[in-house]
Amino acid sequence: MAPSKSSPKLPPQPATTPLAMPTTDDQCSSAAPAETDPLALPPALTDPDTIETYKTLYDVLGRAYWEASDLTAKDTIQGARDAIYEILTDLNIAKLEANTALFLALKTKIRDSNKALEEIRDRINAITKNISTASSVIAAIAKVASIAPTLL
Amino acid sequence: MRERRSSTGLLLACLLSFTGCSLSPLARNTAQFSTATSAVVENTRNAYRAAVRLNEDAQYSLLVARYDSDHPMDPHSIRPLIDEKGLEARTEVLDGLRVYAQTMADLSSGVSSPQLNQAAAACGANLKSLGDALSSATPVGIKISDTEANAASTALKALGDLLINREIKQSVPKVIRDMDPNVDALTKLLSSDIDVLRDQASRDYEQILAQQDQFIRHAGTSLAPVERRAEVQRLPRILADKKATEDMLADLKSSLQKLAVTHHALAAAATSKNDASLQARIADLRASAEGLADFYESLSRSK
Repeated sequence: MAPSKSSPKLPPQPATTPLAMPTTDDQCSSAAPAETDPLALPPALTDPDTIETYKTLYDVLGRAYWEASDLTAKDTIQGARDAIYEILTDLNIAKLEANTALFLALKTKIRDSNKALEEIRDRINAITKNISTASSVIAAIAKVASIAPTLL
Repeated sequence: MRERRSSTGLLLACLLSFTGCSLSPLARNTAQFSTATSAVVENTRNAYRAAVRLNEDAQYSLLVARYDSDHPMDPHSIRPLIDEKGLEARTEVLDGLRVYAQTMADLSSGVSSPQLNQAAAACGANLKSLGDALSSATPVGIKISDTEANAASTALKALGDLLINREIKQSVPKVIRDMDPNVDALTKLLSSDIDVLRDQASRDYEQILAQQDQFIRHAGTSLAPVERRAEVQRLPRILADKKATEDMLADLKSSLQKLAVTHHALAAAATSKNDASLQARIADLRASAEGLADFYESLSRSK
């Protein structure tokens, strides 16, 4: 019978301490510290071979489901499949959470680049402003020159 | 007088050729890169939304399937594939990338030109006023004609454009080069996400499919023939959606890889005049992104 989401999420696994977030991606391996990760999974589930085995089992059970002609057999097979689905979903959620940490780190770097571009924009605006200032100076001189005869 | 006018005309012609009337290669490349990036960013954002919604559907389907079983599922246990914080982090990074590409394009195309034009025109007009004032106030006899004032404005605009272009050519390529490893890391990270989404979406559809099948079989004769027919017809449609989603995510991954390669070529072209291969890459990236946009629109219509 498939375990419900309200019952312990994973089927019996060797008793272990929580480990770093599982991922098959090298770039993600530095994320998610083990001690603070509430979603840490048993080491058995961090092994890529184990994960592949679960995926294969899910697919095999899927074929068995469609080949079964008896409804009770279908229910039993799908119950087991549901359990594997939940395990693999939890693994994927954990991988995406590990990636979130990397996205947060990248956010700062992209912000820095955008800041550098804003500084260039400011310097360009300063050039325009200098020409505007020159225009204002000429306008002021013209005004003085126009009233000069009345002062002489 | 005629000689003076023709020399002014020559000055204007020189200035125009000096400042250049068409877009620079950098401006053209960054503008096209910005358009293509914007499409990829939007497609990626849609992919996250679609994947999270699909996973919710799969979990709701499981909730229904287990509702009357010995181990009913607690609705509280349903959690999103990517939580709020995760989606926000991804959205902010994608927005940052879009802003980067847009700002780079704006700067390279001289987005401040209207202000510069205005300042240069005002300068010419003020010079003419100054000439008029000096002419009437002093015996010097300075007189600035409209043509000369316009020439002065154009000269100032040319000077402004020159200074701005120099600033852009000195600064923007450096920012692009500095950003290149970040774009590379970002596209790899997004691709890693897409791999997970593809893996998950495949099983989400399989779950929805099996649970739909179970629903029909358990319902038996309680479904009217027409209702039963409609429910059975949903099975191949679920499989068609699965195939379309898998294809879309594969294309998105390919677009992300093209984005990284295109930015790398942009960084190289920013310091080089040979940008023919870059143009080809940008066209490729844009075509790839537009194809995905059509897919998302079709998804929205089918909902």
